[in-house]
Parts: sequence; C-alpha cells; structure tokens
Amino acid sequence: MVENREPRAAVEAELDLVEYTLRKRLPHRLSWRPSDIYVNMKTDFKAQLACCQKLLDRGAWVQNSCTEIYIHGLGLAISRAINIALQLQAGSFGSLQVAANTSTVELVDELEPETDTREPLTRIRNDSAIHIRVFRVATK
Amino acid sequence: MSNAKERKHAKKMRNQPTNVTLSSGFVAERSTKYHNGGGRPFQAQKQEPFSGTSRQRQTKMTHHSPVDPDVKEQSSSKIMFKKKGGWKAGPEGTSQEIPKYITASTFAQARAAEISAMLKAVTQKSSNSLVFQTLPRHMRRRAMSHNVKRLPRRLQEIAQKEAEKAVHQKKEHSKNKCHRARRCHKKRVLEFNRRQKKNIWLETHIWHAKRFHMVKKWGYCLGERPTVKSHRACYRAMTNRCLLQDLSYYCCLELKGKEEEILKALSLMCSIDAGLTFAAVHCLSGKRQGSVLLYRANKYPREMLGPVTFIWKSERISGHTSESRQLWIWLHPTLKQDILEELKSACQCVEPVKSAVCIPSLLPTTSEEKSQTVLPDEKIGKKRKWKDDGENAKPFKKVIGDGTRDPRQPSSWISPATGIIISDLTMEMNRLRLIGPLSHSILTEALKAASVQTEGEDTEKTPHHWWIETCKNPDSVSLHHRQEAVFELLGGITSPAEIPAGTVLGLTVGDPRINLPQKRSKVFPNPEKCQDNEKVRQLLLEGVPVDCAHSFIWNQAICKNVTENKISDQDLNRKRSELLVPGSQLVLGPQESRIPILLIQQPGKVTGDERQGWGSGWDVLLPKGWGMAFWIPFIYRGARVGGLKESVVHSQYKSSPDIPSDFPDCPAGVVFAEEQAKNLLEKYKRRPPAKRPNYVKLGTLAPFRCPWEQLTQEWESRVRSQEKSSGASSPSGEESDSRRDKLPCAPTPENTDPRSDEGGTSQSSSSKPQDGVATECLARLGTGWVAGQDATGSLPCVLRSRKWLKQLSTWCGPSSGDQRAARRALGSGQPAPTRAACLSLLDRFPRALVWVSLALLRKGSPEPHSMICVPAEEDILQLRQDRLYSGPQEPKHSDPFKSEIRKQKERNKVEKRQNQARAEPEGLAGAHPAAGHPALTLGLWSGPLPVVTSHCSRVLLGFVTQGDFSMAVGGGEGLGFVSLTGLLDMLSRQPAAERGLVLLRAPASLQYRFARVAVEV
Repeated sequence: MVENREPRAAVEAELDLVEYTLRKRLPHRLSWRPSDIYVNMKTDFKAQLACCQKLLDRGAWVQNSCTEIYIHGLGLAISRAINIALQLQAGSFGSLQVAANTSTVELVDELEPETDTREPLTRIRNDSAIHIRVFRVATK
Repeated sequence: MSNAKERKHAKKMRNQPTNVTLSSGFVAERSTKYHNGGGRPFQAQKQEPFSGTSRQRQTKMTHHSPVDPDVKEQSSSKIMFKKKGGWKAGPEGTSQEIPKYITASTFAQARAAEISAMLKAVTQKSSNSLVFQTLPRHMRRRAMSHNVKRLPRRLQEIAQKEAEKAVHQKKEHSKNKCHRARRCHKKRVLEFNRRQKKNIWLETHIWHAKRFHMVKKWGYCLGERPTVKSHRACYRAMTNRCLLQDLSYYCCLELKGKEEEILKALSLMCSIDAGLTFAAVHCLSGKRQGSVLLYRANKYPREMLGPVTFIWKSERISGHTSESRQLWIWLHPTLKQDILEELKSACQCVEPVKSAVCIPSLLPTTSEEKSQTVLPDEKIGKKRKWKDDGENAKPFKKVIGDGTRDPRQPSSWISPATGIIISDLTMEMNRLRLIGPLSHSILTEALKAASVQTEGEDTEKTPHHWWIETCKNPDSVSLHHRQEAVFELLGGITSPAEIPAGTVLGLTVGDPRINLPQKRSKVFPNPEKCQDNEKVRQLLLEGVPVDCAHSFIWNQAICKNVTENKISDQDLNRKRSELLVPGSQLVLGPQESRIPILLIQQPGKVTGDERQGWGSGWDVLLPKGWGMAFWIPFIYRGARVGGLKESVVHSQYKSSPDIPSDFPDCPAGVVFAEEQAKNLLEKYKRRPPAKRPNYVKLGTLAPFRCPWEQLTQEWESRVRSQEKSSGASSPSGEESDSRRDKLPCAPTPENTDPRSDEGGTSQSSSSKPQDGVATECLARLGTGWVAGQDATGSLPCVLRSRKWLKQLSTWCGPSSGDQRAARRALGSGQPAPTRAACLSLLDRFPRALVWVSLALLRKGSPEPHSMICVPAEEDILQLRQDRLYSGPQEPKHSDPFKSEIRKQKERNKVEKRQNQARAEPEGLAGAHPAAGHPALTLGLWSGPLPVVTSHCSRVLLGFVTQGDFSMAVGGGEGLGFVSLTGLLDMLSRQPAAERGLVLLRAPASLQYRFARVAVEV
C-alpha cells in the first residue's frame, strides 16, 4: 500500500510545496545493542574508529564483550563506515575479518501543512545503507 | 626577655618532666664535672629564650628536690634535652669544658627518665580542645567526630571518653511524644496538609523533596534540580537513555460543546498566520496533539497570551455524533489566569456553574473531601475540613486541588448562548514526561495493557464496574486489543522521533505496581522486538489510527472511580507478603485496578537542520492519585529524574522558547523578567563592590533585564534618521542591493555609511563618560520615541508570522559559513532583503522582535542577558584575513557615578555626625531627605537609561535570553531576541558571504565574540 501512496504524495507535494513544510524524520534504526555502531558524518573519524576498536578489544572476561560488532552506515556515511571497517581490519594483523551487507532504507519525510484544511503527508525516500560485520577469527 | 615570651615559654614548659630525680650518689659526681659543661655555653648565649625561665622554674621546683646540686643537675639535663643549640654550642665554644668521661649507666638512666617523662607528656592531653581538633588537618576525615572508629586507633580511647562526656552534657530529649507518636500517619498527614496550604504539592512531592532542591513557584512546590551533581548525566539521559519529569503542575482547561461553536470562539484568539490553529484537520480528528499561540481576541500581532498545546477528544465513529466535542488545552500555570479570562470572554462563558448541577454524570458521587475543592458554594474552609478529618478515623491522603486558584471559586463556567462549558481541570490529572530514546522500552516494560475481564468469576465483588461493562462490549474489546498491539509495536522502535509528531495513543493498563522489579534496573530494547516488519513500517508512515486515540481518561466519572478504588500500597504489599511463594507474581484478578491513560508523543527538535528529533519523548496522562504508582515503576526501569532546570536545558537544546522566560510579549513573561531582575539585583548587591563587576565601566547598561521597548524604538528612529541623512538614498540603496548580489564584497558607497555611523557612535561612546552627552543623545532621540511610546502598548511585539519568518531565515544568508555554500547561495540568487520587502514587513510589524538562535563561531559561550551587536566593517575584514580572530574588545568606559557615590557617602557621614550632635527627634527628621536621594549602587547605571543601541562601540541589536555551553553542539549556543528593524538593516548591509554574522558580548566582559544568527522556523 505504501507503493500506492508514494507517487500520489509526491505529486501532491510538488503541486503545493508552498503550503507544506518539509520535516525529515529520523531514520529507523534496526536495533540497539551495545555492539551496534551507527556511523555518522558529524563525529570525528578517529573517535568513531577508536570506539569500534575499544568494543573489540574488551577482553572476554568483561561482562558484555563483543567478539563481533556491526557497523551501520547510511547515505553519505557509507564510505566512512567502509573506511572504519577496513582500518580496523588493517590494524588487527589479520585477526579481524569483515563481511558486508547492503540494504535500502526507507526514509520518511513528513510534510506539515501550512493551512488548517490539509492533512499532513508523508513521503518515502530510499537511501542505501551498509551493514558491516567485523568479527574475530582464530589466528593460526 | 619580654614578659609575653616568658609566659609563652612557661606554658610550653608546663608539662615538662618534673620527675627527673636522680639519686644523690652520682649527682655529686656529675655536678662537679658535668654541670659546668652545660652551664657555660648556656651563659654565653644569653639571648636564648629558654635560659631564664628554666632557671625560674627550677627555683620554683626546688621543693621537689631540696638538694641544691640536684637542681643544678636537673637544669643542665633539661637544657641539654630541650635545647639543642645549647648542647651543641658547648663543644664548639669551649672545647676544654667537655666532660672528660661519662658514666654510661648513670647517663643512660638519666636519659631514660627523660624519655619516659616525654612519653607521659605526649599521652596527656594539654589543652581543653577535643581530640579531633588536635589532629593535624591532613589527618582529619569526614564524620570523625560522629564515628569514633574513624579516628586513629591511638586516639580512639580518649575520643570515646570525650563522646560519653558530651552525651551526658546534652539536654535530655523532650519525651512528651515518642518518636513513633510523632511519626504517626494521621499526624503526618495533617502536618503535610498544613504545609501544602499555600503551595500545592504534587503527588510525587515527598519523593522529590528527599532528592531535589525544592522551590516554591507558581503556587506549587517543585523540584528545581537534583541534589546530586547530575547536569551531564541528565543530558546523557535525554540523549541516549530516558529522563523522567513530573509535569503535573501544568494546567488543563476543558472546553465542551459543539465543534463549530468552539472553533468559532477560539478562532478569534489565534491566527493562521502564526501556525496551525485549533481547526487543523489532523488535530481536530483527535489523532494528534496540536500546539498554538494564543492572543487576545482579534489582537493578533500584539497582546500575546502564551503558547498552549491542545488535544481534541477523538470521535468514536460508531458511538457519538459530532454534537458534543471535548477539547483539552494544556498550559503553563503562569499563563493560566490570563488565558482563562480570555477564553471565558471569547466563549461568552459567564455563568459559573455548580459542578454537581452542570455535569451530574461526571461527578455522580462527590465524596466529602474532593468536592470541597471543586464545589464553589459549599462554604467550607480548610479548618472545618480538618475537624472532619479529626472526626473521621481516616484522614484523606492529600489535599487534591489546585494551587493557582482559590478553592472556593468556581471551576467551570457555562455560556447560555453557545452552550460551551469551560472547566478547569488543573490537578485533576497527572502528567509525566519521558524524554529520550529509551522511553519506548521503559513504557512497554513498565506498563502492561489491562487484561480483559471475562464474565463469570466473582465479578460482583469488584469495584471496577466500568471495566467489566467495557469488556462486555465486543467493539471496545477489539479496540482495546488494537491499542495494545500498537503499544507493543512501540517497543520495537528505537526512538520516539521516528513516530509522527504529536501522536496520541489511548490505553488502559493494569496496575503497574504489580510487576515492579525487585531492584532498580536498566532496561534495554529487546532486539527481538526490533523486527523490521510491515506493521512497524505502517505505524511509522501513517501514525496511530484515529480510533486508537480513544481513552477512558476523557470520562471523568471513570477517572473518579479509578482514583477512589486504588488499592493502597500497604494493602498491595500485604497481599504480596501473603503469597505462598515469596517473590512470585501477584495475581489480583478482578480486584486489580485498570487505569485509563493517554500517551502523547512530544516532538523533539523540529526546527533547524541539526540534531533532528533531539529530546523527543512521550507524555503520559494519568488520573489523579496514581502519580506515585507510575512514578516508581518508571524509575525502576532506569529512568533518571530531572527538575525544572533540566526542562530549561531541554528547551534550550531543542532551541524552543522556554515558557515564562522567553515570551517578553506576554504578561507572564513580563512578570518573570521583573522578578528575575529583582533577584539578580539583590544577588549583585550582596557582594562587596570590589568583588563584583562594575557594569558601568563595562558598558553594560542593563545587565539584569532587557529593555526591549527602548531597543526597538531606538532602532526605528535610527533607521529613519539614516534615511534622512543619506537624502535620496532609496535608489542608491537598491542599486547597492542589486550589486551585492553579484559581488561577495560590498562596494564602497554604502560602506561609508556604516563607517561614518560607526565613527559617530565610537565618538559618542568615547565621550560617553560625561553624563551630559548621554542626556544630550537622549534629548536628540527623545522627541522621536517618547511620542511613539505613548502610541503603542507597553509590551513589545514578537514576529511570529510563519511566512515572514521563513523569508527571514532565507535572508539570514548561508547557514554554513564555508565558501561553497556562499557561492551556492549567490548562484541560486539567495537574495539580500530587498527594500520593498523590508518595508512591507516593517509596516506590518513595526517595532517587532525576532526570535533567533545563535551559534558561536569559535570560543565563548553566551550567558543570559548577553548583548547581540552588529559587527563593524573592520571586524569582518579582520575575520576574513584571520580565521582564528576571536573578536574585538570593547574599550573601557568610565564611571560617572563613582564620584557621585563618594560624595553622597561623605554627605551622609557629615549628616550623621550632625544628627548625632543634634537632639534625637531632630536627627530622625534630618535623616529623611538623605533617604530621599536615589540610592546609587556602585557598578550599575542609575536613572533612566541613555541610548542603548549606540552606547558601546558596536551597535546593539538584541539580547540573549537563554545561553550556555551546549553539550549537544559542543560549543556555545544561545537563543534570544533581536530587533527586527535592526536585523534587516544589518542584513542589507552585510556582504553575502558574511551575512548573518553578529557579535556577542557577555554583560561582565569586554570581549566580543563572533556568532552566526539563524532564524529557525
């Protein structure tokens, strides 16, 4: 039904964009585990790399240690997510492996009406995303 | 040797060993050989302080050892042990007088005696101070005087004795009432009721009072900030976890009546120009919460009353017709009086109604205590109520009522013409606010949808008839299941910002106290729930369906029933303790309360580009009496609690105006500003003049309040005079505007204008110190704006038209300072404000203020009352050359009042002297004229303010109302108001690349800092 809705909403919005205000909603996050890292473009690259490294370096005796982490990147941050994963791998002397998955994320744009008589509309945009699993392999 | 020194020495020597007595056998021996050795050098250093007194002492002590040689021996030994210098000096000065031999045994014996004496002296306490006080500072520890065992072991015994002594000395505790009697429930309730007579307590008051700094505000006792240090922790809770706030002090007004009538009445009070009104389609259906700015009827741009949020009760398509609708308006307690009055006049609701008569269905069984606060005509004072409490065995728990109105006043009004009923539902509901991404998990974890009551099993006994009735209706049951399903879906959504703003979800939940965890824990979202399925997607897209917004909380009879039939904590705990298996789930069955609640999504940051959705969360509306029952379960799921300070931080980071303080155009805001100025002035005066900033020297005219009116008027006359001076400037101005679109750097012709202007102001500011110039300036401008002041009302006008605000925000130029954006802006023709547009805007909103947000470019963080100034041409040039340029400095001003204050002081002194000389009554009479002088405060401008805009070297544009280091941005961030005229003037002068740059200066500093202005819609 979303597919049905999309073109109509788009057309309508283009017709009277003056009457609407565009508000982007937050993208839907998949999960919220300690081992999930959502990469953004605002935080410093080094800090994000260090954050991932720290998660991986926590020993097994720590309560919630991660043998694998998931790095998620959306849109512009995809290249950065890849970069982080590769940096992690390069710095690990072969003990870390990466496995990447790509997906498409639906983003919701809300169109707030400027007049009382209109309903608020939602538009769906698609954006590509990457989910990289970085995991430890036993070194031989 | 002086007397004082002697005394001091005597004191020191008081506990010296007196028991050094030696047997005469070797005394004789020693006296001959040894004594001289000590004696001689000792005489050589006559200046040594010890010599004289030790002699004296020895003469005093002769009764101990009458034998003369003995004494001598003592003296020598004493000197040797006490005075190292004497001992050493001996061998050096007179080497021949060193004793030839020492008998080891006697020598050792003598030393042993001395040592034992020393030890004894050490163990005895000399002064009358406590042991703890004798301890050196670095060895003291916290609560040592409380707990003896914290002292060093060697001192514990003495301290123990001291403590016992202290206990005996203490006065006996009054035993007329034992502790148990004093803590008796009935007494405490009476006491609590007495204490909340003036300022109403929230239901969570006692919880808060143990953990928060409480303030009395707006007729309530509210927690201001936690006693623990938790500024950053609360910020983190808002960003990553969950912050809980009790907003039950917010007031709710209910409007009932025909939809058209209500809308017609309310449309007078708001304008579509300032945003959506009560008639917005999605709000009208009851699906969403709306927010609106209220004005006095038909006075739109002026006479603002305040911002409110509102919810319409959703129509149940099957059940009701649209005959009677219900509307709840939620507002801040400071705004209530004005808005209620205006609503009443707008709806023509003049007749106060007895609630029992007008809404018989809503209040069917008005029990004694609650009706007293609601019913107007029962003339029962509080004292009478207390007597009732005394007679009845069971005093009711709390005064449930409203702090902002007199309990005897009517709480609902009806209009004979339109049939609209306005009722005041303040304190009839609890409102808890959860902020942060974990609020979903906390809600879904803490609340469980009520189980549907099947018929058959002892349904007769239960007091919750309404739920059983509901469960009989299959429609209601299916609705309940749908609501439950939507609610469960929320657990899989990681942030409230993903849901449409203002979503309303009704729900009926079971008693949250039943599945309270054993210990306080933290919940995390369940990854299994976070499935990306179709249902979640639909919820995100479409929001909650309209019929799911229905809740029984709208029905007051049910709310009343729920409040009255709440199982007390005591009963619940007793039942829990009677469980066969301790710690197992308590099953109450039909006895369990079902509580109707309403969940309202609060959108977080919606304006601007950054941090979208920050600070979003859910508000939970509960029937009264259930506050604590929901409060504790939320906290046990890991919510952190914030107070009023946290809500200010929340609104600041959300860059939304804080309610009383950021509305200078509504009466509550004016009252707030006055109070704040008074408090700040008092605080300022408490400090000694040398330890507080001299605001006159710093060039800060109004450090404690913002003179909005004067600011806007001065800007108007300023722009007008500029226009006059430049003669036929309008063609040249437009020319320059068009030219500026092409060139990033503005050409010279109009550059001369601000510079000359600048020169003028700097001249005036340099010669400012003289009072005469200031008054001259005032006189020059005076004719212009004094006349204007009479024409307009005293409150300033704030630009809230969305259309114009949007226009302004594009004018404010490239939002990011980098060149690419600037070029893009130029390419796409991001226009400078054109003259015609400016004029039409200014015509529509003369002397208006604009709400702006300010982001510091580099260092610095703004404070409240910081000044927003227009940068001079050279500042921008310097910034262009040096990206690290931090900003210009304000030259120091001189203080013309200082000498006056000195003179006044001298005069006062002289007068006082004269008064003292004169007779008493005359003196009193003479004191009066001195008091009649305007009390000058060192460091503050006294008398009427001179021209505020051009008082300093940079022209003043506005003031910051909220500002601090923002942890969300990682830099200084401020919110404030600027003069619309000034802003347009500044924007039209600035080149495109630097458009929107301003200077900020804190009231107690001379340093200007660069900031970027943004108008966020």
